[in-house]
Amino acid sequence: MATADFSRDLEPQRGYLLRVARLQLRDEALAEDVVQETLLAALAGSGFSGKSSLRTWLTGILKHKIVDAIRKKQREPTVASAFGDVESEMDIEDFDAMFNERGGWDPKPADWGNPEEALNQRQFLDVMDLCLEKLPPNTARVFMMREVMELETDEICKELTINANNLWVILYRARMALRQCLEETWFARKD
Amino acid sequence: MIRKAIGHIISCKDASRLVSRREEATLSAWQRLVLRLHLSVCVACSRFERQIAFLRNAMQKYRQ
Repeated sequence: MATADFSRDLEPQRGYLLRVARLQLRDEALAEDVVQETLLAALAGSGFSGKSSLRTWLTGILKHKIVDAIRKKQREPTVASAFGDVESEMDIEDFDAMFNERGGWDPKPADWGNPEEALNQRQFLDVMDLCLEKLPPNTARVFMMREVMELETDEICKELTINANNLWVILYRARMALRQCLEETWFARKD
Repeated sequence: MIRKAIGHIISCKDASRLVSRREEATLSAWQRLVLRLHLSVCVACSRFERQIAFLRNAMQKYRQ
Protein backbone atom coordinates (compact mmCIF):
# COMPACT_ATOMS: atom_id res chain seq x y z
CA MET A 1 0.00 0.00 0.00
CA ALA A 2 2.76 2.37 1.00
CA THR A 3 4.62 1.44 -2.17
CA ALA A 4 1.65 2.27 -4.37
CA ASP A 5 1.38 5.70 -2.75
CA PHE A 6 5.08 6.29 -3.11
CA SER A 7 5.14 5.37 -6.79
CA ARG A 8 2.28 7.82 -7.33
CA ASP A 9 4.48 10.53 -5.75
CA LEU A 10 7.38 9.57 -7.98
CA GLU A 11 5.53 9.72 -11.28
CA PRO A 12 5.25 13.54 -11.49
CA GLN A 13 9.04 13.81 -11.01
CA ARG A 14 9.75 11.76 -14.11
CA GLY A 15 9.59 14.70 -16.52
CA TYR A 16 12.07 16.73 -14.48
CA LEU A 17 14.48 13.79 -14.12
CA LEU A 18 14.34 13.15 -17.87
CA ARG A 19 15.10 16.79 -18.68
CA VAL A 20 18.11 16.79 -16.38
CA ALA A 21 19.37 13.44 -17.72
CA ARG A 22 18.89 14.47 -21.37
CA LEU A 23 20.81 17.70 -20.87
CA GLN A 24 23.76 15.77 -19.51
CA LEU A 25 23.74 12.71 -21.73
CA ARG A 26 22.29 14.04 -25.02
CA ASP A 27 21.13 10.51 -25.70
CA GLU A 28 17.41 9.86 -25.47
CA ALA A 29 17.59 6.10 -24.87
CA LEU A 30 20.35 6.40 -22.29
CA ALA A 31 18.47 9.21 -20.51
CA GLU A 32 15.35 7.01 -20.34
CA ASP A 33 17.48 4.19 -18.89
CA VAL A 34 19.07 6.23 -16.11
CA VAL A 35 15.70 7.72 -15.13
CA GLN A 36 14.17 4.24 -15.06
CA GLU A 37 17.02 3.01 -12.86
CA THR A 38 16.66 6.04 -10.62
CA LEU A 39 12.94 5.45 -10.09
CA LEU A 40 13.51 1.75 -9.46
CA ALA A 41 16.25 2.50 -6.96
CA ALA A 42 13.94 5.03 -5.28
CA LEU A 43 11.17 2.43 -5.00
CA ALA A 44 13.49 -0.33 -3.80
CA GLY A 45 15.32 1.74 -1.20
CA SER A 46 13.74 3.31 1.80
CA GLY A 47 16.25 6.13 2.03
CA PHE A 48 13.76 8.94 1.67
CA SER A 49 13.45 10.54 5.07
CA GLY A 50 11.38 13.55 4.06
CA LYS A 51 14.09 15.86 5.39
CA SER A 52 14.90 17.12 1.91
CA SER A 53 12.35 17.50 -0.87
CA LEU A 54 11.53 14.40 -2.89
CA ARG A 55 13.04 16.06 -5.95
CA THR A 56 16.32 16.83 -4.20
CA TRP A 57 16.53 13.25 -2.96
CA LEU A 58 15.84 11.86 -6.45
CA THR A 59 18.42 14.25 -7.93
CA GLY A 60 20.99 12.68 -5.59
CA ILE A 61 20.18 9.19 -6.89
CA LEU A 62 20.14 10.38 -10.51
CA LYS A 63 23.58 11.95 -10.02
CA HIS A 64 25.15 8.54 -9.34
CA LYS A 65 23.32 6.91 -12.25
CA ILE A 66 24.51 9.62 -14.64
CA VAL A 67 28.11 9.42 -13.43
CA ASP A 68 27.96 5.62 -13.95
CA ALA A 69 26.52 6.09 -17.45
CA ILE A 70 29.27 8.58 -18.36
CA ARG A 71 31.96 6.22 -17.04
CA LYS A 72 30.53 3.37 -19.10
CA LYS A 73 30.33 5.56 -22.16
CA GLN A 74 33.93 6.71 -21.76
CA ARG A 75 35.12 3.12 -21.83
CA GLU A 76 33.59 2.71 -25.29
CA PRO A 77 36.07 3.22 -28.12
CA THR A 78 33.67 5.64 -29.83
CA VAL A 79 33.77 8.07 -26.93
CA ALA A 80 35.00 10.98 -29.04
CA SER A 81 31.97 10.93 -31.27
CA ALA A 82 29.62 9.97 -28.43
CA PHE A 83 30.41 13.09 -26.44
CA GLY A 84 31.28 15.44 -29.27
CA ASP A 85 34.39 17.53 -29.52
CA VAL A 86 35.17 18.67 -26.00
CA GLU A 87 38.30 20.49 -27.19
CA SER A 88 36.33 23.02 -29.20
CA GLU A 89 34.19 23.79 -26.16
CA MET A 90 37.24 24.64 -24.10
CA ASP A 91 38.29 27.46 -26.37
CA ILE A 92 37.70 30.69 -24.48
CA GLU A 93 38.43 32.91 -27.49
CA ASP A 94 34.95 32.28 -28.87
CA PHE A 95 33.55 34.69 -26.37
CA ASP A 96 35.88 37.47 -27.36
CA ALA A 97 33.13 38.34 -29.82
CA MET A 98 31.12 39.66 -26.87
CA PHE A 99 33.81 42.28 -26.20
CA ASN A 100 35.42 45.01 -28.26
CA GLU A 101 39.15 45.12 -29.01
CA ARG A 102 39.85 46.91 -25.72
CA GLY A 103 38.01 44.22 -23.74
CA GLY A 104 34.87 46.31 -23.13
CA TRP A 105 31.36 44.79 -23.36
CA ASP A 106 29.79 44.94 -26.79
CA PRO A 107 26.86 45.03 -26.30
CA LYS A 108 26.65 45.88 -22.59
CA PRO A 109 24.59 43.59 -20.34
CA ALA A 110 21.07 45.00 -19.97
CA ASP A 111 19.39 45.97 -16.72
CA TRP A 112 17.31 42.94 -15.68
CA GLY A 113 15.41 44.82 -12.99
CA ASN A 114 14.40 42.37 -10.28
CA PRO A 115 14.99 39.03 -12.04
CA GLU A 116 13.91 36.92 -9.02
CA GLU A 117 10.29 37.74 -9.87
CA ALA A 118 10.66 35.65 -13.03
CA LEU A 119 11.39 32.53 -10.95
CA ASN A 120 7.72 32.17 -10.03
CA GLN A 121 6.61 32.05 -13.64
CA ARG A 122 6.24 28.69 -15.36
CA GLN A 123 7.12 30.22 -18.75
CA PHE A 124 10.44 31.45 -17.41
CA LEU A 125 11.46 27.91 -16.43
CA ASP A 126 10.55 26.81 -19.97
CA VAL A 127 12.82 29.54 -21.35
CA MET A 128 15.59 28.29 -19.02
CA ASP A 129 15.13 24.81 -20.51
CA LEU A 130 15.38 26.12 -24.05
CA CYS A 131 18.51 28.10 -23.23
CA LEU A 132 20.11 25.05 -21.57
CA GLU A 133 19.30 22.90 -24.62
CA LYS A 134 21.01 25.43 -26.86
CA LEU A 135 24.34 24.99 -25.04
CA PRO A 136 26.95 22.77 -26.71
CA PRO A 137 26.71 19.20 -25.29
CA ASN A 138 29.78 19.16 -23.05
CA THR A 139 29.11 22.67 -21.84
CA ALA A 140 25.57 21.71 -20.82
CA ARG A 141 26.83 18.54 -19.15
CA VAL A 142 29.44 20.34 -17.04
CA PHE A 143 27.05 23.16 -16.11
CA MET A 144 24.31 20.71 -15.04
CA MET A 145 26.80 18.62 -13.05
CA ARG A 146 27.95 21.74 -11.25
CA GLU A 147 24.70 23.66 -10.70
CA VAL A 148 22.01 20.97 -10.52
CA MET A 149 23.86 17.83 -9.41
CA GLU A 150 26.07 19.99 -7.19
CA LEU A 151 29.17 17.90 -7.85
CA GLU A 152 32.44 19.35 -6.57
CA THR A 153 34.71 20.72 -9.29
CA ASP A 154 37.40 18.07 -8.71
CA GLU A 155 34.79 15.32 -9.07
CA ILE A 156 33.66 16.76 -12.40
CA CYS A 157 37.28 17.00 -13.62
CA LYS A 158 37.90 13.40 -12.59
CA GLU A 159 34.78 11.99 -14.24
CA LEU A 160 35.23 13.90 -17.49
CA THR A 161 39.06 13.73 -17.49
CA ILE A 162 39.56 17.45 -17.94
CA ASN A 163 41.75 19.80 -15.88
CA ALA A 164 40.61 22.63 -13.60
CA ASN A 165 41.40 25.26 -16.19
CA ASN A 166 39.29 23.49 -18.83
CA LEU A 167 36.47 23.35 -16.29
CA TRP A 168 36.61 27.10 -15.57
CA VAL A 169 36.56 27.92 -19.25
CA ILE A 170 33.58 25.63 -19.88
CA LEU A 171 31.62 27.05 -16.93
CA TYR A 172 32.44 30.60 -18.04
CA ARG A 173 31.18 29.77 -21.54
CA ALA A 174 28.01 28.24 -20.10
CA ARG A 175 27.29 31.30 -17.95
CA MET A 176 28.03 33.75 -20.76
CA ALA A 177 25.80 31.86 -23.19
CA LEU A 178 22.95 31.39 -20.70
CA ARG A 179 23.09 35.01 -19.65
CA GLN A 180 22.89 36.14 -23.24
CA CYS A 181 20.08 33.72 -24.09
CA LEU A 182 17.99 34.74 -21.06
CA GLU A 183 18.56 38.40 -21.83
CA GLU A 184 17.50 38.04 -25.45
CA THR A 185 14.51 35.78 -24.86
CA TRP A 186 13.20 37.11 -21.57
CA PHE A 187 14.70 40.11 -19.83
CA ALA A 188 15.28 42.47 -22.73
CA ARG A 189 13.06 41.02 -25.42
CA LYS A 190 11.71 43.62 -27.74
CA ASP A 191 8.12 42.85 -28.57
CA MET B 1 39.06 60.67 -14.76
CA ILE B 2 40.03 58.61 -11.72
CA ARG B 3 36.95 56.40 -12.21
CA LYS B 4 38.03 55.77 -15.76
CA ALA B 5 41.57 54.92 -14.72
CA ILE B 6 40.28 52.50 -12.06
CA GLY B 7 37.99 50.89 -14.63
CA HIS B 8 40.95 50.21 -16.88
CA ILE B 9 43.18 48.39 -14.39
CA ILE B 10 41.52 45.28 -15.76
CA SER B 11 39.19 45.06 -18.76
CA CYS B 12 35.52 44.04 -18.58
CA LYS B 13 36.52 40.84 -20.34
CA ASP B 14 38.98 39.98 -17.55
CA ALA B 15 36.54 41.10 -14.86
CA SER B 16 33.81 38.82 -16.28
CA ARG B 17 36.19 35.85 -16.17
CA LEU B 18 37.07 36.56 -12.54
CA VAL B 19 33.37 36.85 -11.60
CA SER B 20 32.76 33.40 -13.08
CA ARG B 21 35.89 31.83 -11.63
CA ARG B 22 34.98 33.11 -8.17
CA GLU B 23 31.99 30.70 -8.20
CA GLU B 24 34.40 27.76 -8.14
CA ALA B 25 37.66 28.96 -6.66
CA THR B 26 39.03 31.48 -4.19
CA LEU B 27 40.60 34.39 -6.01
CA SER B 28 44.03 35.67 -5.01
CA ALA B 29 44.21 38.82 -2.89
CA TRP B 30 45.30 40.79 -5.95
CA GLN B 31 42.47 39.42 -8.10
CA ARG B 32 39.95 40.26 -5.39
CA LEU B 33 41.29 43.81 -5.14
CA VAL B 34 41.31 44.60 -8.86
CA LEU B 35 37.90 42.99 -9.34
CA ARG B 36 36.42 44.98 -6.48
CA LEU B 37 37.86 48.21 -7.85
CA HIS B 38 36.58 47.44 -11.32
CA LEU B 39 33.07 46.57 -10.10
CA SER B 40 32.95 49.77 -8.05
CA VAL B 41 33.11 51.89 -11.19
CA CYS B 42 31.66 49.62 -13.92
CA VAL B 43 27.86 49.45 -14.28
CA ALA B 44 27.97 46.77 -17.00
CA CYS B 45 30.13 44.37 -14.97
CA SER B 46 28.06 45.01 -11.83
CA ARG B 47 24.99 43.93 -13.83
CA PHE B 48 26.89 40.87 -15.04
CA GLU B 49 27.87 39.99 -11.46
CA ARG B 50 24.24 40.22 -10.33
CA GLN B 51 23.08 38.16 -13.31
CA ILE B 52 25.58 35.39 -12.54
CA ALA B 53 24.33 35.27 -8.94
CA PHE B 54 20.77 35.12 -10.27
CA LEU B 55 21.71 32.24 -12.57
CA ARG B 56 22.78 30.23 -9.54
CA ASN B 57 19.47 30.99 -7.77
CA ALA B 58 17.57 30.07 -10.91
CA MET B 59 19.30 26.68 -11.10
CA GLN B 60 18.47 26.05 -7.44
CA LYS B 61 14.85 26.77 -8.30
CA TYR B 62 15.10 24.47 -11.29
CA ARG B 63 16.06 21.67 -8.93
CA GLN B 64 13.26 22.21 -6.40
